[in-house]
Amino acid sequence: MIKKLLIPIFSIFILMGQMPPNIIIDENEKDIRIKPNIAGTEVVLYGAMPSGKKDIIIEVVGPARNISLEEKRSIYGFWLGLGRADYFQVPSYYNIMSSRKLSEIASQSVFDKLRLGVINLPLGNAKISNTKTSQNIFNKNLKKYMLDKGQFKIGENEISVKSGPGKVGIFSTEFLLPSNSYQGKYFVRYFIFQNGEFISYAENKIDLKQAGFSRAIWLTAKNFPLLYGILAVILSGSLGWLISTIFRRLKIS
Amino acid sequence: MEFYLPIAEMSINPIGFLILGIIVGTLSGTFGVGGGFLMTPLLIFLGIPPAIAVASEANHIVGSSLSGTIGHLRRKAVDIRMGNVLLAGGILGSFLGIYIFNSLKQVGLVDLLITASYFLFLTAIGIFMLYESLDSLGYFGHKKRSKYYHHSWIMGLPLKIRFRRSGLYISLIPPYIIGFVVGVLSSIMGVGGGFIIIPAMIYILRMPTNVVVGTSLYQIIFITSFVTILHASTNQSVDIILALILLLGGAIGAQIGVRLSGKLNGAWLRIALSILVLAVGLIMASELIIKPDNVIKIISGSNL
Repeated sequence: MIKKLLIPIFSIFILMGQMPPNIIIDENEKDIRIKPNIAGTEVVLYGAMPSGKKDIIIEVVGPARNISLEEKRSIYGFWLGLGRADYFQVPSYYNIMSSRKLSEIASQSVFDKLRLGVINLPLGNAKISNTKTSQNIFNKNLKKYMLDKGQFKIGENEISVKSGPGKVGIFSTEFLLPSNSYQGKYFVRYFIFQNGEFISYAENKIDLKQAGFSRAIWLTAKNFPLLYGILAVILSGSLGWLISTIFRRLKIS
Repeated sequence: MEFYLPIAEMSINPIGFLILGIIVGTLSGTFGVGGGFLMTPLLIFLGIPPAIAVASEANHIVGSSLSGTIGHLRRKAVDIRMGNVLLAGGILGSFLGIYIFNSLKQVGLVDLLITASYFLFLTAIGIFMLYESLDSLGYFGHKKRSKYYHHSWIMGLPLKIRFRRSGLYISLIPPYIIGFVVGVLSSIMGVGGGFIIIPAMIYILRMPTNVVVGTSLYQIIFITSFVTILHASTNQSVDIILALILLLGGAIGAQIGVRLSGKLNGAWLRIALSILVLAVGLIMASELIIKPDNVIKIISGSNL
């Protein structure tokens, strides 16, 4: 049961020869609700872009979160997690999708200038304690970890571009925001390329609001910790009592 | 099928964890211990952050020990007065345990504390149990000691009261201290402490074996409730969904275990348990000694 959400990008493409092709997008923010215990919410992005031999890259950056890393060191033969890096501005979600292989669209130096791609994704300043390891090394490990966990994604060839009426191309792509996604603003950035050169840019936002059970539990635990603890005890105790009652009944009958 | 743990912030397969609950429940039903000392390390092996494994396991034991105590109360196998004395010590001990836990968490040494405590206690108790059960099978040629023998220093302590169900007339001080030590360990290790308190009741307090398990479980309900609330309110690390999944599996396992234990020989059962305890202790220790694949790892994504 995946809820589909359509975000149209209203693109006005100027057909007159002299002006550069442009994308103008709807500034409406869309609310997405995430239901618990389903795979997540599927987001569909589609819109119009200038046709011809053009490529598109879409980047989605989720709200910032805290993450801590530890570095183990061997002391007297014991591996202890002594070094620490605390991040406060790591995107909780990152997805870069493209209509062709990234390396075929433009060179790395073009992407670097646009600050596009996982390599250029800023993670914010980390508070590093009790180690001489540089933040660069922590950054590399963190990015690798996020890619392995699917929190950061690279989706080459995941945008399809079809020719529409006139000289307009229709692009569309879809991606899944998993049910454990952070709530907040997801920035969507659109980049159009032609012959290896960047030609046009647009952006909009998705406002993600988590609803449901998991979120309610998380909020209760953070905001009302004492109440949460008492509830946890009552729930565990009642389930224990219920189970013992059920098994006793089963034995008698 | 995926299930999302809101506090651990990870998706798990609930069937796998249910089966884990059943296996540990079967072992604990067979051996008459809570199973926390097995469950917490297993949760850590499965990737649950140690701090969350400890706190959620305490929450799980609340339900499983309550379930077990009801059965023992019906058989009049709970010494409530003894349980209350142990509890009084335990409450004070768990305050100290949580204080140690949180101070070490701030300097990033809490994982070491958890691993080291497990290693020390599991190996010590494993070796002691192995020795004791082999001894009772006559391997070391000792004479059987009298059941009612007490160490003279314990008999000499003041504040004596009568524990009717246990048939004892002893000082309040030894059970209070035992309760205190177990309280400290419960909050650091996420265990009910059955694997420490049961040997202590038998070998130090000389309580009759038929009331030992019930009394231990009775006080564990309150200690783990208290520890759960302390963990939840000081470091927000109790994952209630995880605790309830484990409880469901554990309850089924416990019923299987109780039936199994009736069919097996007591001394051999204790030998099997001691080997299991030693194995868990050694695996925990190997984590400290073997060079990790990657020296940098994520330790928390949520509770900062």
